[in-house]
Amino acid sequence: MAVTPTTPSHLPPRRMGAAVASDARPGEQFVDDLGRALSGSLNLRRTALRLLTMIRPRLADWGMVVLPGDRPGALTLVGGDDAGFHTVISAAAIAEFELSRVLRTGSTVLRHVHMDVDAEADLAGMIPHPRLAAEAASMRPADLLAVGLTARGTTIGALVMIRCEGRGFDTRDVAVTERVATSAAMALDSARLYEERGRIASVLQSSLRPPSLPEVDGARLAARYRPAAEHLDIGGDFYDVYGQGDDWLLSVGDVSGKGVEAAALTGRTRQSIRTACHFDRRPEVVLDALNTVLFEERTKEFVTVVCARMRRETGGRLTVDVAAAGHPAPIVLRRDGHVETVGVGGTAVGMIARVRYEPATVTLQPGDTMLMFTDGVDEARGADGMYGVERLTALLPRYAGADPEVLCEAIERDVLEYLDGRPHDDIALLAVTCGG
Amino acid sequence: MRRLDGRPHTLEAYDAALASGDTETVKSLVRDMLDDGRDPVSVLTDVVAAAQREVGRRWQVGEYTVAQEHAATAVAISATKIVAAHVQQVPVTRGKVIVACAEREWHALPAMMIECALRSHGWETTLLGASTNPLRLNQYLHDLGPDAVAVSCSVLGSLPTCRRFIEATTASGTPILVGGPAFGVDDVRAVALGATAWAGDAHGAVVAMDALPAVVEPARPLSGERIAEQAALESDHRRLVALLRERWSLVAAATTPDADCLNSVIDVADDVLHQTLHAVEVALLTGDFRVLPETAWWIDDLLRTRGADSTMMGELVEILTAAMRDYPMAATLLSAHFVVPLDWRQTEVTAE
Repeated sequence: MAVTPTTPSHLPPRRMGAAVASDARPGEQFVDDLGRALSGSLNLRRTALRLLTMIRPRLADWGMVVLPGDRPGALTLVGGDDAGFHTVISAAAIAEFELSRVLRTGSTVLRHVHMDVDAEADLAGMIPHPRLAAEAASMRPADLLAVGLTARGTTIGALVMIRCEGRGFDTRDVAVTERVATSAAMALDSARLYEERGRIASVLQSSLRPPSLPEVDGARLAARYRPAAEHLDIGGDFYDVYGQGDDWLLSVGDVSGKGVEAAALTGRTRQSIRTACHFDRRPEVVLDALNTVLFEERTKEFVTVVCARMRRETGGRLTVDVAAAGHPAPIVLRRDGHVETVGVGGTAVGMIARVRYEPATVTLQPGDTMLMFTDGVDEARGADGMYGVERLTALLPRYAGADPEVLCEAIERDVLEYLDGRPHDDIALLAVTCGG
Repeated sequence: MRRLDGRPHTLEAYDAALASGDTETVKSLVRDMLDDGRDPVSVLTDVVAAAQREVGRRWQVGEYTVAQEHAATAVAISATKIVAAHVQQVPVTRGKVIVACAEREWHALPAMMIECALRSHGWETTLLGASTNPLRLNQYLHDLGPDAVAVSCSVLGSLPTCRRFIEATTASGTPILVGGPAFGVDDVRAVALGATAWAGDAHGAVVAMDALPAVVEPARPLSGERIAEQAALESDHRRLVALLRERWSLVAAATTPDADCLNSVIDVADDVLHQTLHAVEVALLTGDFRVLPETAWWIDDLLRTRGADSTMMGELVEILTAAMRDYPMAATLLSAHFVVPLDWRQTEVTAE
């Protein structure tokens, strides 16, 4: 029995056009669906994956997409039988290959595959990767169709497809494929542009993200950060912990304004605090230096900051010197549930040339926690007006002696539940509990 | 606990350290287990998660205060961070996964564990913390282009928001794996919400992840009267909780001057009201009505172990049904399903 059965995925070419024979433009619905599906992602690889999944088996039995690589002169090949497969090759290495002509001119190439010669070698000019070429050759290909992916005046890549014996591409298939390519090229190019911008943004953004907290002997630290634009991960609030041994500087601050511009200034502010701290860790001196630097920069924005110098004493207690510049004062939650506000206040930095900041000192015994926060907490607007410092101080006693992680989570949760889905300002929390 | 039968001492030591809030001992115990070559996923599921379930049980029966529960959770997070640091050494051999908690999900620990489990099997993981909004997930979907998303839901209130995660994820063609106690014991709720796959625990998540398709279709839109009523209930949630608080004499009694003895009851009253309304929402949203008797049993047990008046449960059902005047389908579901099955309560009594 040498008869080869025709499986459903190997339908003769005419069948495909038959269902849409009355259409003025064959495959209209398919091209529409594909365009819609491809617009769902702005990620280049995912868009290519979707394209490859959708063209099989309707348009091809095997497919591969050639895309720009992540560096100049590189090409990414995506596809084959394993949907997750992707590899990067050098464009220069395939300069003389058949595929390069498609990439240069954006043209369409349809040709028969000669099975009597070495199919793998025959395909290599269009499928320049040994694993992919071997895979394609093993399918007993009849036709190979390559179309350029051209969007916004530039050919950004190519779509290479194979059909098996008994199912060649006819002119109608070629026309549908070209329209698929036009639609796909636009989606892929948008994803490429987004990805390129995204790479620049993520490098710049990484320095503005909240830092990871250091391990500090004799104290436990926790922090929370929820920018107003939650999806951006950065905002105008910041916190930082800097120092070594038994001498640390904790800072929490808020740049006037929101979003990217504010975030850019938080980066400079944090750096200025760290530099000032290198010379003198007294919080009033750090704030004075920061004020001078920001005032001389003549930025439109001003910054509110609270700085706390934390030193470990014998007996495990912590001495904390605090100074504030236009910022909500830290709150101390004693181990027994008693709540105190640290008596500090002063003008925001960057507004006037010389300001004197007055420090206050608090002592934390084991189990005591000091909480620093930004006005995104107390000024959160819910159904009953502002959240307020009173609500915060009323919440705290329940968490006396708790781990600072637990405390920060409880506050974040209470504030967000109070907001009940309403927009909020940037929110930052930094808590330190005395004792390891 | 099967896998660690040979080491009962480690488990006992872990439980003891957890109970006394001794973070350092817990951390060194976990380090020792990993250094002994224990499978990190088993350390998470059979030690850390098992101990957390015990903590949850002790809270349920009133042995633990909320503060003790919080302290135990903080210790468990420290333990999980040790495992997380350990599995960072595993080379990445699989694709990228985003692990996240939907909005209103504040239990970050289960998601941390799932992240660890997947990372230990070679996945490149990105963890988005507690209560993440769909916009943020979307940003990460487009920026990272992950091979899959995994979502953990512990509380019923996070299932409606999880549906938004499912929409966002599948719209980009990415498969989404869901799990956690809020989904119940099988995949019924997961399927109803349009998730690609469901897993019962961390081991299940590791297995399910390998079977996910590369590309999925966008989740089919949910529509119909039940869905419309659920949406209305969701936006009315705060008002309804406030209303029920006012009417339930359990709360009223606890706010009088001699309320001290009732403190442990008032602690749970808010949880009970939120949980009940969310259970109704989940029943409407998923068509899985089992969530109602499950929740009724949970509340009944919670109230009895805290010594609340035995009429409190019946009163709750009455005021709930009255409050559902504008929600006819919810009212019908409540009267038909919000009861403690007789045999469940009997089992409980026999067990005692």
